Amino acid sequence: MLRGLHSLESCTYNGMDMRVLERQQARLKWLLQQQDYVVQNNNPVELCVSSVPQFQGLIGGNLGSGQLVELKMPEVYLGSDDFHKLVNLSVAGPEFGISKMDLVPPEGAADYCISRTSSCQMTARTALMKEGGEGVILEKIESTTGRESFNKRKAEAVADDKCKERRIKGEVEGEPEVKTKCSKEVSRNPSKENSKVSEVQKPDYIHVRARRGQATDSHSLAERARREKISKKMKCLQDLVPGCNKITGKAGMLDEIINYVQSLQRQVEFLSMKLAALNPSVEFNVDNLPVKEFPAYVANFPAAAKSPAVANLTCLQFNPLQKEAVSCMLDATMPLPQTSTEGIASASISIPEQAFSSSCITQLQAFSSWNTDPQGLNNAYNMGFH
Amino acid sequence: MSPMNNPQDLNPSSLKSRFTTRFLRALTKINGQKPISSSSPREMFQRYRRIKVAADKSMAWSVRSRRTWSRAMLWKLRSRYSCRQASSSRRSSVRTSTIIKSRQAKTSHEKENKNTTTGQDEVGFVVQADKLRKLVPGGEAMDLCNLLGETAHYIKCLTTQVQVMRKIAHFYSL
Repeated sequence: MLRGLHSLESCTYNGMDMRVLERQQARLKWLLQQQDYVVQNNNPVELCVSSVPQFQGLIGGNLGSGQLVELKMPEVYLGSDDFHKLVNLSVAGPEFGISKMDLVPPEGAADYCISRTSSCQMTARTALMKEGGEGVILEKIESTTGRESFNKRKAEAVADDKCKERRIKGEVEGEPEVKTKCSKEVSRNPSKENSKVSEVQKPDYIHVRARRGQATDSHSLAERARREKISKKMKCLQDLVPGCNKITGKAGMLDEIINYVQSLQRQVEFLSMKLAALNPSVEFNVDNLPVKEFPAYVANFPAAAKSPAVANLTCLQFNPLQKEAVSCMLDATMPLPQTSTEGIASASISIPEQAFSSSCITQLQAFSSWNTDPQGLNNAYNMGFH
Repeated sequence: MSPMNNPQDLNPSSLKSRFTTRFLRALTKINGQKPISSSSPREMFQRYRRIKVAADKSMAWSVRSRRTWSRAMLWKLRSRYSCRQASSSRRSSVRTSTIIKSRQAKTSHEKENKNTTTGQDEVGFVVQADKLRKLVPGGEAMDLCNLLGETAHYIKCLTTQVQVMRKIAHFYSL
Protein backbone atom coordinates (compact mmCIF):
# COMPACT_ATOMS: atom_id res chain seq x y z
CA MET A 1 0.00 0.00 0.00
CA LEU A 2 2.79 2.35 0.90
CA ARG A 3 4.51 1.40 -2.24
CA GLY A 4 1.48 2.46 -4.13
CA LEU A 5 1.46 5.79 -2.37
CA HIS A 6 4.98 6.44 -3.33
CA SER A 7 4.22 5.50 -6.83
CA LEU A 8 1.44 7.99 -6.98
CA GLU A 9 3.51 10.78 -5.72
CA SER A 10 6.41 10.03 -7.92
CA CYS A 11 4.62 9.54 -11.15
CA THR A 12 4.45 12.36 -13.62
CA TYR A 13 1.75 13.03 -16.06
CA ASN A 14 3.52 12.09 -19.16
CA GLY A 15 5.98 9.57 -17.99
CA MET A 16 4.87 6.33 -16.61
CA ASP A 17 6.86 4.89 -13.80
CA MET A 18 7.37 1.24 -13.60
CA ARG A 19 5.56 1.24 -10.31
CA VAL A 20 2.66 2.97 -11.87
CA LEU A 21 2.72 0.42 -14.58
CA GLU A 22 2.78 -2.29 -12.02
CA ARG A 23 -0.14 -0.74 -10.29
CA GLN A 24 -2.00 -0.51 -13.49
CA GLN A 25 -1.28 -4.07 -14.31
CA ALA A 26 -2.56 -5.11 -10.96
CA ARG A 27 -5.66 -3.12 -11.60
CA LEU A 28 -6.03 -4.76 -14.94
CA LYS A 29 -5.90 -8.13 -13.36
CA TRP A 30 -8.52 -7.10 -10.88
CA LEU A 31 -10.68 -5.74 -13.61
CA LEU A 32 -10.32 -8.96 -15.52
CA GLN A 33 -11.68 -10.74 -12.56
CA GLN A 34 -14.60 -8.40 -12.23
CA GLN A 35 -15.60 -7.54 -15.72
CA ASP A 36 -17.26 -9.96 -18.08
CA TYR A 37 -17.94 -7.92 -21.15
CA VAL A 38 -15.97 -6.06 -23.77
CA VAL A 39 -17.03 -2.70 -25.05
CA GLN A 40 -16.03 -1.69 -28.47
CA ASN A 41 -14.82 1.85 -28.41
CA ASN A 42 -12.49 3.80 -30.59
CA ASN A 43 -12.29 6.96 -28.59
CA PRO A 44 -9.18 7.06 -26.48
CA VAL A 45 -11.23 8.57 -23.71
CA GLU A 46 -13.56 5.63 -23.83
CA LEU A 47 -10.66 3.30 -23.87
CA CYS A 48 -9.80 4.28 -20.40
CA VAL A 49 -13.23 3.32 -19.23
CA SER A 50 -13.77 0.25 -21.28
CA SER A 51 -12.58 -3.24 -20.81
CA VAL A 52 -9.21 -4.48 -19.92
CA PRO A 53 -7.53 -5.15 -23.23
CA GLN A 54 -8.33 -1.65 -24.37
CA PHE A 55 -7.32 -0.36 -21.03
CA GLN A 56 -3.89 -1.68 -21.73
CA GLY A 57 -3.74 0.46 -24.80
CA LEU A 58 -3.99 3.49 -22.59
CA ILE A 59 -0.66 2.79 -21.09
CA GLY A 60 1.17 2.84 -24.34
CA GLY A 61 -1.05 5.23 -26.14
CA ASN A 62 -0.72 8.93 -26.40
CA LEU A 63 -2.59 10.55 -23.69
CA GLY A 64 -1.95 14.06 -24.68
CA SER A 65 -4.91 14.34 -26.92
CA GLY A 66 -7.29 12.92 -24.47
CA GLN A 67 -6.00 14.69 -21.48
CA LEU A 68 -8.20 17.68 -21.51
CA VAL A 69 -11.26 15.58 -21.84
CA GLU A 70 -10.09 13.36 -19.10
CA LEU A 71 -9.60 16.32 -16.94
CA LYS A 72 -13.19 17.25 -17.40
CA MET A 73 -14.47 13.83 -16.50
CA PRO A 74 -13.49 13.76 -12.90
CA GLU A 75 -14.95 17.20 -12.35
CA VAL A 76 -18.25 16.01 -13.54
CA TYR A 77 -17.98 12.92 -11.48
CA LEU A 78 -16.92 14.80 -8.48
CA GLY A 79 -20.22 16.55 -8.57
CA SER A 80 -22.28 13.45 -9.05
CA ASP A 81 -23.52 11.10 -6.43
CA ASP A 82 -21.39 8.31 -7.71
CA PHE A 83 -18.31 9.97 -6.44
CA HIS A 84 -19.69 10.05 -2.96
CA LYS A 85 -20.29 6.42 -3.30
CA LEU A 86 -16.75 6.02 -4.44
CA VAL A 87 -15.50 7.80 -1.40
CA ASN A 88 -17.64 5.69 0.85
CA LEU A 89 -16.79 2.48 -0.83
CA SER A 90 -13.14 3.16 -1.01
CA VAL A 91 -12.77 1.50 2.31
CA ALA A 92 -14.17 -1.68 0.96
CA GLY A 93 -12.19 -1.53 -2.23
CA PRO A 94 -9.95 -4.26 -3.35
CA GLU A 95 -6.15 -4.02 -3.35
CA PHE A 96 -6.09 -0.23 -3.69
CA GLY A 97 -5.88 1.87 -0.56
CA ILE A 98 -7.85 4.82 0.66
CA SER A 99 -5.16 7.35 0.21
CA LYS A 100 -5.02 6.64 -3.43
CA MET A 101 -8.28 8.35 -3.89
CA ASP A 102 -6.94 11.65 -2.73
CA LEU A 103 -3.61 11.55 -4.43
CA VAL A 104 -4.55 9.99 -7.66
CA PRO A 105 -3.13 11.94 -10.56
CA PRO A 106 -5.50 13.62 -12.94
CA GLU A 107 -4.50 11.30 -15.66
CA GLY A 108 -5.47 8.35 -13.63
CA ALA A 109 -8.33 10.12 -11.88
CA ALA A 110 -10.70 9.82 -14.73
CA ASP A 111 -10.19 6.22 -15.42
CA TYR A 112 -9.81 5.50 -11.76
CA CYS A 113 -13.02 7.21 -10.86
CA ILE A 114 -14.75 5.64 -13.73
CA SER A 115 -13.38 2.28 -12.95
CA ARG A 116 -14.35 2.78 -9.36
CA THR A 117 -17.85 3.65 -10.35
CA SER A 118 -17.99 0.57 -12.38
CA SER A 119 -16.48 -1.44 -9.61
CA CYS A 120 -18.68 -0.10 -6.90
CA GLN A 121 -21.67 -0.70 -9.01
CA MET A 122 -20.53 -4.20 -9.59
CA THR A 123 -20.04 -4.86 -5.96
CA ALA A 124 -23.10 -3.12 -4.72
CA ARG A 125 -25.68 -4.22 -7.28
CA THR A 126 -26.58 -7.11 -9.51
CA ALA A 127 -25.13 -7.85 -12.88
CA LEU A 128 -27.98 -6.12 -14.65
CA MET A 129 -27.33 -2.97 -12.78
CA LYS A 130 -23.71 -3.18 -13.63
CA GLU A 131 -24.53 -3.27 -17.27
CA GLY A 132 -26.91 -0.40 -16.89
CA GLY A 133 -24.42 1.63 -14.98
CA GLU A 134 -21.71 0.98 -17.41
CA GLY A 135 -23.99 1.91 -20.22
CA VAL A 136 -24.77 5.15 -18.47
CA ILE A 137 -21.15 5.98 -18.03
CA LEU A 138 -20.40 5.17 -21.59
CA GLU A 139 -23.18 7.41 -22.68
CA LYS A 140 -21.79 10.21 -20.66
CA ILE A 141 -18.34 9.75 -21.97
CA GLU A 142 -19.38 9.59 -25.53
CA SER A 143 -20.43 13.21 -25.50
CA THR A 144 -17.33 15.17 -26.23
CA THR A 145 -19.08 18.23 -27.43
CA GLY A 146 -19.62 20.21 -24.31
CA ARG A 147 -20.68 20.29 -20.75
CA GLU A 148 -24.26 21.36 -21.26
CA SER A 149 -25.05 18.56 -23.57
CA PHE A 150 -23.16 16.33 -21.24
CA ASN A 151 -25.19 17.44 -18.28
CA LYS A 152 -28.39 17.08 -20.21
CA ARG A 153 -27.58 13.57 -21.19
CA LYS A 154 -26.51 12.89 -17.66
CA ALA A 155 -29.90 13.98 -16.42
CA GLU A 156 -31.60 11.67 -18.83
CA ALA A 157 -29.25 8.92 -17.92
CA VAL A 158 -29.94 9.52 -14.28
CA ALA A 159 -33.64 9.28 -14.96
CA ASP A 160 -33.13 6.08 -16.88
CA ASP A 161 -30.91 4.91 -14.13
CA LYS A 162 -33.56 5.53 -11.56
CA CYS A 163 -36.10 3.78 -13.73
CA LYS A 164 -33.80 0.85 -14.16
CA GLU A 165 -33.04 0.89 -10.46
CA ARG A 166 -36.66 0.66 -9.60
CA ARG A 167 -37.18 -1.92 -12.24
CA ILE A 168 -34.50 -4.06 -10.72
CA LYS A 169 -35.82 -3.50 -7.26
CA GLY A 170 -39.15 -4.52 -8.62
CA GLU A 171 -37.71 -7.78 -9.76
CA VAL A 172 -37.00 -8.47 -6.18
CA GLU A 173 -40.41 -7.40 -4.93
CA GLY A 174 -42.71 -8.17 -7.79
CA GLU A 175 -42.43 -7.07 -11.33
CA PRO A 176 -45.76 -5.57 -12.27
CA GLU A 177 -46.00 -3.24 -9.29
CA VAL A 178 -42.73 -1.59 -10.05
CA LYS A 179 -43.43 -1.39 -13.70
CA THR A 180 -46.61 0.40 -12.90
CA LYS A 181 -44.61 2.85 -10.81
CA CYS A 182 -42.23 3.33 -13.67
CA SER A 183 -44.97 3.80 -16.14
CA LYS A 184 -46.72 6.10 -13.75
CA GLU A 185 -43.67 8.28 -13.40
CA VAL A 186 -43.12 8.35 -17.10
CA SER A 187 -46.70 9.22 -17.71
CA ARG A 188 -46.73 11.80 -14.98
CA ASN A 189 -43.75 13.68 -16.20
CA PRO A 190 -45.03 14.62 -19.61
CA SER A 191 -48.65 15.06 -18.60
CA LYS A 192 -49.07 16.18 -15.07
CA GLU A 193 -52.63 17.36 -15.43
CA ASN A 194 -53.86 14.01 -16.60
CA SER A 195 -54.47 12.15 -13.38
CA LYS A 196 -55.59 8.93 -14.99
CA VAL A 197 -53.31 5.95 -14.65
CA SER A 198 -53.58 2.69 -16.45
CA GLU A 199 -51.96 -0.43 -15.23
CA VAL A 200 -49.58 -2.54 -17.20
CA GLN A 201 -51.17 -5.08 -19.48
CA LYS A 202 -50.65 -8.29 -17.65
CA PRO A 203 -53.10 -11.02 -18.57
CA ASP A 204 -53.96 -12.04 -15.05
CA TYR A 205 -54.42 -8.53 -13.68
CA ILE A 206 -57.60 -6.51 -13.55
CA HIS A 207 -57.55 -3.31 -15.58
CA VAL A 208 -58.81 -0.48 -13.46
CA ARG A 209 -58.84 3.18 -14.17
CA ALA A 210 -58.45 5.59 -11.32
CA ARG A 211 -60.77 8.51 -11.33
CA ARG A 212 -59.78 12.11 -11.01
CA GLY A 213 -58.78 13.12 -7.55
CA GLN A 214 -58.46 9.58 -6.27
CA ALA A 215 -55.49 7.64 -5.04
CA THR A 216 -53.63 5.78 -7.72
CA ASP A 217 -51.98 3.27 -5.47
CA SER A 218 -52.31 -0.26 -6.71
CA HIS A 219 -53.68 -1.37 -3.37
CA SER A 220 -56.41 1.22 -3.31
CA LEU A 221 -57.29 0.47 -6.91
CA ALA A 222 -57.74 -3.20 -6.13
CA GLU A 223 -59.77 -2.34 -3.07
CA ARG A 224 -61.98 -0.03 -5.04
CA ALA A 225 -62.58 -2.71 -7.68
CA ARG A 226 -63.50 -5.15 -4.96
CA ARG A 227 -65.88 -2.72 -3.33
CA GLU A 228 -67.58 -2.05 -6.64
CA LYS A 229 -68.05 -5.76 -7.20
CA ILE A 230 -69.61 -6.15 -3.78
CA SER A 231 -71.96 -3.23 -4.31
CA LYS A 232 -73.06 -4.70 -7.65
CA LYS A 233 -73.90 -7.97 -5.99
CA MET A 234 -75.73 -6.21 -3.21
CA LYS A 235 -77.89 -4.53 -5.82
CA CYS A 236 -78.72 -7.89 -7.38
CA LEU A 237 -79.66 -9.22 -3.97
CA GLN A 238 -81.81 -6.18 -3.40
CA ASP A 239 -83.86 -7.16 -6.40
CA LEU A 240 -84.21 -10.72 -5.19
CA VAL A 241 -85.14 -10.05 -1.60
CA PRO A 242 -88.52 -8.41 -1.33
CA GLY A 243 -88.95 -5.21 0.58
CA CYS A 244 -85.37 -4.05 0.35
CA ASN A 245 -85.95 -1.04 -1.82
CA LYS A 246 -86.35 1.31 1.10
CA ILE A 247 -83.35 0.08 3.00
CA THR A 248 -80.08 1.81 2.29
CA GLY A 249 -76.79 0.71 3.66
CA LYS A 250 -75.00 -2.57 3.57
CA ALA A 251 -75.62 -3.62 7.15
CA GLY A 252 -79.38 -3.24 6.93
CA MET A 253 -79.42 -5.01 3.59
CA LEU A 254 -77.44 -7.91 4.98
CA ASP A 255 -79.83 -8.15 7.92
CA GLU A 256 -82.76 -8.36 5.54
CA ILE A 257 -81.01 -10.95 3.44
CA ILE A 258 -80.25 -13.05 6.49
CA ASN A 259 -83.83 -12.85 7.68
CA TYR A 260 -85.14 -13.80 4.28
CA VAL A 261 -82.85 -16.80 3.94
CA GLN A 262 -83.77 -17.95 7.43
CA SER A 263 -87.44 -17.63 6.69
CA LEU A 264 -87.12 -19.54 3.45
CA GLN A 265 -85.27 -22.35 5.15
CA ARG A 266 -87.91 -22.53 7.86
CA GLN A 267 -90.64 -22.61 5.26
CA VAL A 268 -88.94 -25.57 3.61
CA GLU A 269 -88.78 -27.34 6.93
CA PHE A 270 -92.37 -26.59 7.66
CA LEU A 271 -93.52 -27.78 4.28
CA SER A 272 -91.59 -30.99 4.61
CA MET A 273 -93.24 -31.51 7.96
CA LYS A 274 -96.55 -30.93 6.34
CA LEU A 275 -95.80 -33.36 3.59
CA ALA A 276 -94.73 -35.95 6.11
CA ALA A 277 -97.97 -35.52 7.97
CA LEU A 278 -100.14 -35.33 4.90
CA ASN A 279 -99.08 -38.42 3.16
CA PRO A 280 -100.53 -41.02 5.48
CA SER A 281 -103.93 -39.41 5.14
CA VAL A 282 -103.79 -39.12 1.38
CA GLU A 283 -103.57 -42.18 -0.70
CA PHE A 284 -100.37 -42.14 -2.50
CA ASN A 285 -101.11 -45.16 -4.61
CA VAL A 286 -101.53 -43.24 -7.79
CA ASP A 287 -97.86 -42.91 -8.37
CA ASN A 288 -98.13 -41.96 -11.92
CA LEU A 289 -100.63 -39.24 -11.34
CA PRO A 290 -98.36 -36.65 -9.87
CA VAL A 291 -95.65 -37.38 -12.35
CA LYS A 292 -98.07 -36.99 -15.19
CA GLU A 293 -99.75 -33.99 -13.76
CA PHE A 294 -96.70 -32.08 -12.92
CA PRO A 295 -95.11 -32.19 -16.33
CA ALA A 296 -98.45 -31.07 -17.65
CA TYR A 297 -98.50 -28.31 -15.13
CA VAL A 298 -94.98 -27.47 -16.04
CA ALA A 299 -95.74 -27.37 -19.71
CA ASN A 300 -98.94 -25.43 -19.51
CA PHE A 301 -98.34 -23.30 -16.56
CA PRO A 302 -99.96 -20.05 -17.56
CA ALA A 303 -102.37 -21.63 -19.96
CA ALA A 304 -105.74 -23.24 -19.38
CA ALA A 305 -105.91 -26.11 -16.96
CA LYS A 306 -106.25 -29.55 -18.49
CA SER A 307 -107.31 -31.21 -15.34
CA PRO A 308 -108.75 -30.05 -12.09
CA ALA A 309 -105.58 -30.90 -10.29
CA VAL A 310 -103.59 -28.75 -12.57
CA ALA A 311 -106.16 -26.04 -12.37
CA ASN A 312 -105.95 -26.11 -8.63
CA LEU A 313 -102.27 -25.80 -8.76
CA THR A 314 -102.37 -22.87 -11.09
CA CYS A 315 -104.90 -21.19 -8.92
CA LEU A 316 -103.29 -21.86 -5.66
CA GLN A 317 -100.00 -20.15 -5.96
CA PHE A 318 -99.17 -19.38 -2.43
CA ASN A 319 -96.53 -16.75 -2.34
CA PRO A 320 -95.61 -14.72 0.64
CA LEU A 321 -95.59 -11.51 -1.33
CA GLN A 322 -98.55 -9.28 -1.81
CA LYS A 323 -97.59 -8.45 -5.32
CA GLU A 324 -97.34 -12.04 -6.31
CA ALA A 325 -100.55 -12.89 -4.55
CA VAL A 326 -102.32 -10.28 -6.60
CA SER A 327 -100.78 -11.58 -9.78
CA CYS A 328 -101.62 -15.17 -9.06
CA MET A 329 -105.13 -14.24 -8.17
CA LEU A 330 -105.34 -12.63 -11.55
CA ASP A 331 -104.02 -15.81 -13.05
CA ALA A 332 -106.49 -17.79 -11.03
CA THR A 333 -109.41 -15.83 -12.32
CA MET A 334 -108.44 -16.49 -15.88
CA PRO A 335 -108.53 -20.30 -16.15
CA LEU A 336 -111.36 -21.19 -13.84
CA PRO A 337 -111.86 -24.90 -13.72
CA GLN A 338 -115.11 -26.83 -13.65
CA THR A 339 -114.71 -27.43 -10.00
CA SER A 340 -115.74 -23.88 -9.47
CA THR A 341 -116.27 -24.21 -5.79
CA GLU A 342 -112.69 -25.03 -5.30
CA GLY A 343 -111.65 -22.29 -7.61
CA ILE A 344 -113.72 -19.75 -5.76
CA ALA A 345 -112.39 -21.01 -2.52
CA SER A 346 -108.89 -20.60 -3.77
CA ALA A 347 -109.53 -17.19 -5.22
CA SER A 348 -111.03 -15.98 -2.05
CA ILE A 349 -107.88 -16.67 -0.15
CA SER A 350 -106.39 -13.27 0.19
CA ILE A 351 -103.67 -13.94 2.62
CA PRO A 352 -102.23 -17.32 1.70
CA GLU A 353 -100.52 -17.85 4.99
CA GLN A 354 -103.69 -17.75 6.99
CA ALA A 355 -105.31 -20.45 4.90
CA PHE A 356 -102.15 -22.40 5.13
CA SER A 357 -102.10 -22.18 8.86
CA SER A 358 -105.73 -23.20 9.16
CA SER A 359 -105.26 -26.27 7.04
CA CYS A 360 -102.16 -27.14 8.89
CA ILE A 361 -103.73 -26.90 12.28
CA THR A 362 -106.37 -29.43 11.35
CA GLN A 363 -103.89 -31.86 9.99
CA LEU A 364 -100.85 -31.50 12.18
CA GLN A 365 -102.55 -31.60 15.51
CA ALA A 366 -99.99 -33.96 16.94
CA PHE A 367 -97.23 -31.49 16.35
CA SER A 368 -98.64 -28.30 17.68
CA SER A 369 -95.30 -27.10 18.91
CA TRP A 370 -93.87 -27.37 15.44
CA ASN A 371 -96.81 -25.56 13.96
CA THR A 372 -96.60 -22.46 16.01
CA ASP A 373 -93.02 -21.55 15.49
CA PRO A 374 -92.79 -21.63 11.72
CA GLN A 375 -96.25 -20.17 11.33
CA GLY A 376 -95.53 -17.40 13.73
CA LEU A 377 -92.32 -16.65 11.97
CA ASN A 378 -93.94 -16.70 8.58
CA ASN A 379 -96.72 -14.45 9.73
CA ALA A 380 -94.32 -12.09 11.38
CA TYR A 381 -92.24 -11.99 8.29
CA ASN A 382 -95.20 -11.24 6.10
CA MET A 383 -96.44 -8.58 8.49
CA GLY A 384 -93.12 -6.98 8.28
CA PHE A 385 -93.44 -6.70 4.58
CA HIS A 386 -96.99 -5.40 4.40
CA MET B 1 -91.80 -13.71 -9.45
CA SER B 2 -94.42 -16.11 -10.73
CA PRO B 3 -95.25 -14.17 -13.92
CA MET B 4 -91.59 -14.03 -14.64
CA ASN B 5 -91.16 -17.74 -14.04
CA ASN B 6 -93.88 -18.72 -16.47
CA PRO B 7 -91.74 -18.79 -19.58
CA GLN B 8 -89.16 -20.73 -17.65
CA ASP B 9 -91.67 -23.34 -16.56
CA LEU B 10 -92.53 -24.05 -20.15
CA ASN B 11 -88.97 -25.19 -20.46
CA PRO B 12 -88.83 -28.80 -19.32
CA SER B 13 -85.26 -28.44 -18.28
CA SER B 14 -85.80 -25.45 -16.01
CA LEU B 15 -84.77 -25.54 -12.41
CA LYS B 16 -88.37 -25.79 -11.26
CA SER B 17 -89.25 -28.77 -13.43
CA ARG B 18 -86.04 -30.57 -12.59
CA PHE B 19 -86.59 -30.11 -8.92
CA THR B 20 -90.22 -31.09 -9.17
CA THR B 21 -89.59 -34.38 -10.89
CA ARG B 22 -86.79 -35.34 -8.59
CA PHE B 23 -88.63 -34.40 -5.46
CA LEU B 24 -91.74 -36.27 -6.47
CA ARG B 25 -89.71 -39.34 -7.18
CA ALA B 26 -88.10 -39.08 -3.77
CA LEU B 27 -91.47 -38.60 -2.13
CA THR B 28 -92.89 -41.69 -3.75
CA LYS B 29 -89.85 -43.60 -2.67
CA ILE B 30 -90.14 -42.43 0.91
CA ASN B 31 -93.80 -43.21 1.12
CA GLY B 32 -93.28 -46.58 -0.47
CA GLN B 33 -90.60 -47.55 2.00
CA LYS B 34 -92.63 -47.56 5.16
CA PRO B 35 -96.27 -48.24 5.84
CA ILE B 36 -98.23 -45.10 5.60
CA SER B 37 -100.85 -45.99 8.12
CA SER B 38 -98.55 -45.73 11.08
CA SER B 39 -98.77 -42.32 12.61
CA SER B 40 -96.53 -42.49 15.59
CA PRO B 41 -94.75 -39.25 16.28
CA ARG B 42 -91.35 -40.83 16.02
CA GLU B 43 -91.99 -42.24 12.59
CA MET B 44 -93.59 -39.03 11.53
CA PHE B 45 -90.48 -37.20 12.63
CA GLN B 46 -88.30 -39.60 10.74
CA ARG B 47 -90.35 -39.16 7.64
CA TYR B 48 -90.17 -35.42 8.03
CA ARG B 49 -86.42 -35.62 8.24
CA ARG B 50 -86.26 -37.83 5.19
CA ILE B 51 -88.49 -35.55 3.20
CA LYS B 52 -86.44 -32.55 4.17
CA VAL B 53 -83.25 -34.28 3.17
CA ALA B 54 -84.89 -35.37 -0.06
CA ALA B 55 -85.95 -31.82 -0.78
CA ASP B 56 -82.47 -30.46 -0.17
CA LYS B 57 -80.86 -33.24 -2.11
CA SER B 58 -83.14 -32.91 -5.09
CA MET B 59 -82.59 -29.18 -5.16
CA ALA B 60 -78.84 -29.60 -5.00
CA TRP B 61 -78.98 -32.22 -7.71
CA SER B 62 -81.02 -29.95 -9.91
CA VAL B 63 -78.30 -27.36 -9.68
CA ARG B 64 -75.65 -30.09 -10.01
CA SER B 65 -72.15 -28.85 -9.32
CA ARG B 66 -72.43 -25.50 -10.91
CA ARG B 67 -72.57 -23.69 -7.61
CA THR B 68 -70.43 -23.85 -4.53
CA TRP B 69 -73.39 -24.14 -2.22
CA SER B 70 -74.84 -27.07 -4.11
CA ARG B 71 -71.53 -28.86 -4.04
CA ALA B 72 -71.17 -28.21 -0.33
CA MET B 73 -74.69 -29.43 0.34
CA LEU B 74 -74.20 -32.60 -1.68
CA TRP B 75 -70.95 -33.28 0.09
CA LYS B 76 -72.57 -32.77 3.45
CA LEU B 77 -75.45 -35.06 2.62
CA ARG B 78 -73.16 -37.72 1.26
CA SER B 79 -70.90 -37.63 4.26
CA ARG B 80 -73.86 -37.83 6.60
CA TYR B 81 -75.28 -40.72 4.66
CA SER B 82 -71.99 -42.59 4.66
CA CYS B 83 -71.58 -41.93 8.36
CA ARG B 84 -75.02 -43.26 9.04
CA GLN B 85 -74.36 -46.28 6.91
CA ALA B 86 -71.12 -46.98 8.67
CA SER B 87 -72.42 -46.41 12.16
CA SER B 88 -74.43 -49.24 13.56
CA SER B 89 -74.54 -48.16 17.15
CA ARG B 90 -75.25 -44.88 18.89
CA ARG B 91 -71.65 -44.44 19.97
CA SER B 92 -70.36 -44.45 16.45
CA SER B 93 -73.02 -42.00 15.39
CA VAL B 94 -71.97 -39.71 18.16
CA ARG B 95 -68.39 -40.06 17.02
CA THR B 96 -69.29 -39.27 13.46
CA SER B 97 -71.30 -36.28 14.57
CA THR B 98 -68.31 -35.05 16.51
CA ILE B 99 -66.16 -35.58 13.45
CA ILE B 100 -68.55 -33.52 11.39
CA LYS B 101 -68.60 -30.85 14.05
CA SER B 102 -64.82 -30.76 14.20
CA ARG B 103 -64.68 -30.42 10.45
CA GLN B 104 -67.09 -27.54 10.60
CA ALA B 105 -65.06 -25.97 13.37
CA LYS B 106 -61.97 -26.23 11.24
CA THR B 107 -63.62 -24.58 8.33
CA SER B 108 -64.97 -21.88 10.61
CA HIS B 109 -61.46 -21.28 11.91
CA GLU B 110 -60.19 -20.93 8.40
CA LYS B 111 -63.00 -18.60 7.68
CA GLU B 112 -62.17 -16.53 10.73
CA ASN B 113 -58.61 -16.17 9.62
CA LYS B 114 -59.81 -15.02 6.29
CA ASN B 115 -62.21 -12.67 7.92
CA THR B 116 -59.48 -10.88 9.77
CA THR B 117 -57.79 -10.05 6.55
CA THR B 118 -60.81 -9.18 4.46
CA GLY B 119 -63.09 -7.82 7.14
CA GLN B 120 -60.93 -4.88 7.89
CA ASP B 121 -62.27 -2.96 4.97
CA GLU B 122 -65.92 -3.27 5.88
CA VAL B 123 -65.96 -3.41 9.61
CA GLY B 124 -69.67 -2.78 9.84
CA PHE B 125 -70.98 -6.08 8.59
CA VAL B 126 -68.48 -8.71 9.51
CA VAL B 127 -70.97 -10.10 12.02
CA GLN B 128 -73.71 -10.28 9.46
CA ALA B 129 -71.37 -11.84 6.97
CA ASP B 130 -70.64 -14.54 9.53
CA LYS B 131 -74.32 -15.18 10.01
CA LEU B 132 -74.81 -15.42 6.29
CA ARG B 133 -71.94 -17.83 6.03
CA LYS B 134 -73.60 -20.11 8.51
CA LEU B 135 -76.86 -20.01 6.62
CA VAL B 136 -75.58 -20.62 3.14
CA PRO B 137 -74.11 -24.11 2.76
CA GLY B 138 -70.44 -24.00 2.02
CA GLY B 139 -70.25 -20.34 2.87
CA GLU B 140 -67.55 -20.66 5.47
CA ALA B 141 -64.75 -20.80 3.00
CA MET B 142 -65.86 -18.00 0.73
CA ASP B 143 -64.93 -14.37 0.62
CA LEU B 144 -67.64 -11.75 0.79
CA CYS B 145 -67.87 -11.19 -2.93
CA ASN B 146 -68.47 -14.83 -3.81
CA LEU B 147 -70.66 -15.27 -0.77
CA LEU B 148 -73.07 -12.64 -2.03
CA GLY B 149 -73.28 -14.29 -5.43
CA GLU B 150 -73.90 -17.68 -3.89
CA THR B 151 -76.54 -16.19 -1.61
CA ALA B 152 -78.39 -14.79 -4.59
CA HIS B 153 -78.52 -18.14 -6.33
CA TYR B 154 -79.38 -19.91 -3.11
CA ILE B 155 -82.30 -17.57 -2.47
CA LYS B 156 -83.57 -18.18 -5.97
CA CYS B 157 -83.41 -21.95 -5.49
CA LEU B 158 -85.01 -21.78 -2.06
CA THR B 159 -87.96 -19.82 -3.38
CA THR B 160 -88.42 -22.36 -6.14
CA GLN B 161 -88.29 -25.14 -3.61
CA VAL B 162 -90.84 -23.47 -1.38
CA GLN B 163 -93.20 -22.82 -4.26
CA VAL B 164 -93.12 -26.38 -5.52
CA MET B 165 -93.46 -27.92 -2.09
CA ARG B 166 -96.40 -25.70 -1.31
CA LYS B 167 -98.13 -26.75 -4.46
CA ILE B 168 -97.50 -30.39 -3.75
CA ALA B 169 -98.71 -30.02 -0.20
CA HIS B 170 -101.82 -28.29 -1.32
CA PHE B 171 -102.43 -30.78 -4.04
CA TYR B 172 -102.33 -33.60 -1.57
CA SER B 173 -104.23 -31.80 1.12
CA LEU B 174 -107.29 -31.55 -1.05
